[in-house]
Amino acid sequence: MYEIWLMLNIVYEIVLPLWPGLLALLVVWLALLAKARGPALGRQGGPALVLGAAAAALLFVGLPSLTQSSLGNLGYWVDWAFVAAVAVAGGAAVGLLLWPLLALLRGGRAT
Amino acid sequence: MDKTSRVPNVDDLGRAATDAGRRRLLQALGLPPVAAAVAGTAAPVQAAVSTQARIVIAGSGLGGIAVANRLSRMLSGAKIIIVDRKEVHNYQPGYTLVATGVWPVDKVSDRNADFQPAGVEWVKDMVAEFDPAANTVVTAGGQRIAYDFLVVATGTHQDWGRIEGMDLKAIGTHGLASVYPSPEAAVATWAAMDAFRQKGGKAIMTLPATPLKCAGAPLKMTFMLRDRLKQAGTLDKSSVTFCSALGSVFGVKSVNDNVLARWKDLGIAVENNLALKAIDIGAQRATFTSPEGMTTDMPYEFIHVVPPMRAPDAVKNSDLAWKEGPMAAGGWLEVDKVTLQHRRYKNVFGIGDINGTPRGKTAATVKKSAPIVAQHVVDAIAGRAPSQQFDGYTSCPLIVREGSAMLIEFDYEGRLTPSLPMIEPLQESYFAWLMKIRMLKPAYLAVLKGRV
Repeated sequence: MYEIWLMLNIVYEIVLPLWPGLLALLVVWLALLAKARGPALGRQGGPALVLGAAAAALLFVGLPSLTQSSLGNLGYWVDWAFVAAVAVAGGAAVGLLLWPLLALLRGGRAT
Repeated sequence: MDKTSRVPNVDDLGRAATDAGRRRLLQALGLPPVAAAVAGTAAPVQAAVSTQARIVIAGSGLGGIAVANRLSRMLSGAKIIIVDRKEVHNYQPGYTLVATGVWPVDKVSDRNADFQPAGVEWVKDMVAEFDPAANTVVTAGGQRIAYDFLVVATGTHQDWGRIEGMDLKAIGTHGLASVYPSPEAAVATWAAMDAFRQKGGKAIMTLPATPLKCAGAPLKMTFMLRDRLKQAGTLDKSSVTFCSALGSVFGVKSVNDNVLARWKDLGIAVENNLALKAIDIGAQRATFTSPEGMTTDMPYEFIHVVPPMRAPDAVKNSDLAWKEGPMAAGGWLEVDKVTLQHRRYKNVFGIGDINGTPRGKTAATVKKSAPIVAQHVVDAIAGRAPSQQFDGYTSCPLIVREGSAMLIEFDYEGRLTPSLPMIEPLQESYFAWLMKIRMLKPAYLAVLKGRV
């Protein structure tokens, strides 16, 4: 329980200097989502998922070097699990962010 | 001087002031559960104890401020006074990262004022004398401050005077390095290491026999120096020798054995029972003594000096210091290792590096012990016996090379006590590295604010 509380606090301290930007991004995303509401949004779910998966793959490969390390230093199962979890979370965020944007840009076009 | 190497002053630290403002705004915007969860109100809430007690906290490092933040929430009506002159709060666990070229120096300094709770009186002076019989401290400026309860959080004194010829201003020149004194010294140490690795040569890493704050730092510096030499392609022209004044390099046997095995593989030599006695900075020669009094002269191109440490004079020369036993020579605070309450003056408590306890002079020790000390102050105010027990927990994220580390946690008995049971403490990992460079400062800030 303490470790969960500690992790929440760590996330909070990391987000603290970033939250105005994150809040603005959330507002823009919600506005885009509202504007894109309709059948087009549903049709662009697949492409958004593909882009999210691509972002996750890039993040999986690139995260260590973005943090002054390298893939060569991933020698423990915890490392692989952690990088995979971050990549999935990052990929999901990218997919969600792009989803309404794709619907607005591509309209009802199928992939 | 570029941005990464300039040490920020208090004026530069105005950005830190925005932290508190952002937090207030975050709460004002009403973003639960984030605001509630992270601003402290989601921590176990107890009704504040009403009291008129006068509490003096000597020192405003991590321990002093963490306890002040906790007490200000746990008590209602108390007068809390922090006595410390320093305006800048340094994140000392980051010094090894600055000194090895991993972090820019501006990541380790913040404004002390930004972390102190509202309603606390801040006396900007140093405690020069403790008079526990009179329940009074005297500042360097001569101010006498009475207390009902005292929390001693003064940290350590680095005893550079015990190394003949040592000059802190020369760090960064003539291959002289030390991560301990200050952020400026950490920057200069990286300059010396960076220059050394271009050519290679003979490197000496020292370890004194006294208790140390962050006893893992000399080991991290050694691992990282070797890694920097390898990266620069000068490892084959170099030698690295670790000179320990003890019979080991680390106080926990399993960790000591693990590090020695790694160093054997990496070609790092270890000389035991050699204490640095003198240094000729210009001639780049170090003189060591053995316990038998034999002296050994060693030339070097790079030396990392770790100072002997003891309690500051104000504690060492007071009746608060140990009078006998292994902690007496250093004048460390005589606290019970389980309750952190003074053994003779029951209204006095110790937090952090000043404590004369068997182990634990790290930020992680404060993380675990600050809630206990704060609770015991409240217990004492309420006339109760200390209600909690401290097991001596401490932690050392031991960097083994750029990009990899071990997350070692242990207690008074030297037992490994991993917080995350699935992580093997002596297993090097990228995850532990990421914790060290990205997650531990946020955790430190949460401890400082009294939330975890």
